[in-house]
Amino acid sequence: MKTAQEVRVGNVILVGTEPMVVLKADYSRSGRNGSVVKMKMKNLLTDSAQETVYRADDKFEQIMLDRKEVTYSYFADPMYVFMDGEYNQYEIEAESMGDAINYIEDNMACEVVFYNDKAISVELPNTIVREVIYTEPAVRGDTSGKVMKPAKINTGFELPVAAFIEIGDKIEIDTRSNEFRKRA
Amino acid sequence: MKKIKTHCDIFCNVIDNYGDIGVCWRLARQLANEHGLAVRLWVDDLSSLVKLCPEADATLASQHCRGVEVRLWSKNFAEVQPADVVIEAFACVLPESYIAAMAAQAQQPVWINLEYLSGEDWVHGCHKLPSPHPSLPLVKYFFFPGFTRQTGGLLLERDLLVRRDAFQNDAVQQQAFWQSIGMDMPAAETLKISLFGYENATLHGLFDAWTVSAQPLLCLVPEGRILPQVGQYFGDNAPHAGSDYARGNLHVRVLPFVEQERFDPLLWACDINFVRGEDSCVRALWAGRPFVWQIYPQHDAVHLKKLQAFLMLYSGQLSQSASQAIEGLWQAWNMESGAGPAASTKPLVLSAVEGSGQATSTSSGQAWPAFAAELSELNRCAQDWARQLAENNLALNLLDFCREIGTMRALKIEGSKHENSTRSSRR
Repeated sequence: MKTAQEVRVGNVILVGTEPMVVLKADYSRSGRNGSVVKMKMKNLLTDSAQETVYRADDKFEQIMLDRKEVTYSYFADPMYVFMDGEYNQYEIEAESMGDAINYIEDNMACEVVFYNDKAISVELPNTIVREVIYTEPAVRGDTSGKVMKPAKINTGFELPVAAFIEIGDKIEIDTRSNEFRKRA
Repeated sequence: MKKIKTHCDIFCNVIDNYGDIGVCWRLARQLANEHGLAVRLWVDDLSSLVKLCPEADATLASQHCRGVEVRLWSKNFAEVQPADVVIEAFACVLPESYIAAMAAQAQQPVWINLEYLSGEDWVHGCHKLPSPHPSLPLVKYFFFPGFTRQTGGLLLERDLLVRRDAFQNDAVQQQAFWQSIGMDMPAAETLKISLFGYENATLHGLFDAWTVSAQPLLCLVPEGRILPQVGQYFGDNAPHAGSDYARGNLHVRVLPFVEQERFDPLLWACDINFVRGEDSCVRALWAGRPFVWQIYPQHDAVHLKKLQAFLMLYSGQLSQSASQAIEGLWQAWNMESGAGPAASTKPLVLSAVEGSGQATSTSSGQAWPAFAAELSELNRCAQDWARQLAENNLALNLLDFCREIGTMRALKIEGSKHENSTRSSRR
């Protein structure tokens, strides 16, 4: 069993009797010590997508799926195409890419997830390193890491980073939460 | 033909203080008395309810109070027929047997998780979203109170603002209020402040500022967690209801614990209200007077993010000086509040939220003069806010939403907004 907080994009969980692939999962703190996870899920039997919200400690049965190590090859709208070591190609719809779309770049190593022999999603490593291509100048004197500012990485994705980060810096990002971790 | 009432179960798990039960009790009474639902309120700590509703009996597992059936939510939860509408307050965990009974119903009840109040943007995206049960054929819906149209709004009794206006325009009612707390009506030039708060390390600094205020200042302190610090300032180790202190231009009077019905007139009678937690914040908003919100301290200082989100909304229509004044005092008052982690993570956290890069270290006492100087603008803002917020009534929105869900399931939910507005227009 996995809690909603532990569920990751690309995981397939059972909701009732339906297998649902998680396309997006956003964690937010609510009140007291409560938290919620907003999830976009797609029903693998009907292909219908739905936005839902769960308490962070709600528990789900996870369906263990086949995975294969692949590298990203190219984008053929609306499909992202991946290739394994034997040159087999696997296509995943843009809608099913979840937050991976923020970080995907040519030849990037990742895992494709299969359900009934069909590629349904892609999973990235928990942390990745990316170069900052634009951000406002660093704030002098603040090294706490608590003052944040927006920064753009090479894929065009923008995220809050510590104020001391500069253009050209490499940063470590948590792909589960899309959060800046540290300067790499 | 006699209408069959819609039945509603509200579950309340009291964590601490009176916020959880305060919200549930208000909602229960509104649904029962203003919208005609048969409401059963399940509370796991009846003594907290007794504080808010003295006629309730903490020893009775089942009783009726002010139109609501109140039931003790004990560990050995008896099997009961689930209601048409089931509200779990603040994501409390319903008894397993009750959930099983809901799942066994031929017609699923409308199951709502009434969440905490927040001004943060993410709430908009989660409000009214379904939460299909991971293993049972049940769907719960998250319902978020809030300050914007994209949320469920705030709890507001049907006649509250009329009563408020009547009070604020009637010297006789005001006189009666002051007499009820054993005081004469203060002189017109006296600045009247209510102070309901958690422990706060910055209180003494604020009192210092008040003692040297050019204007006489009367501070009314209902019994509560801040009281020991109030007594300490005046060298009294045993402050209690009726204690009376004076220093410089500051006069402090300690009041007995104030139950819900008497809390509103206190807020209406004062020029500025210091309030704590969710329920009191909402009441201060309805009072239409400038207020200072001490938000419930959470781990990792996440409450400061919530405070900042609300401030962004609240100060949006203010001039720069008034905006800075309110932010200065609110931040200072919250930075040093509570005994929890908030105190140790001090100002930088808020700066992180703001992205301003500037650490704020102003204390409440230092922030006070700027706040006091902006009172007339803050007063206008408070009145505007009360007017705007009144258009987004939580109980009505909740009933409308339940009706939407109920309609999908061919379940008749009485007391919707449509029916209510028809009723109002007939009066």
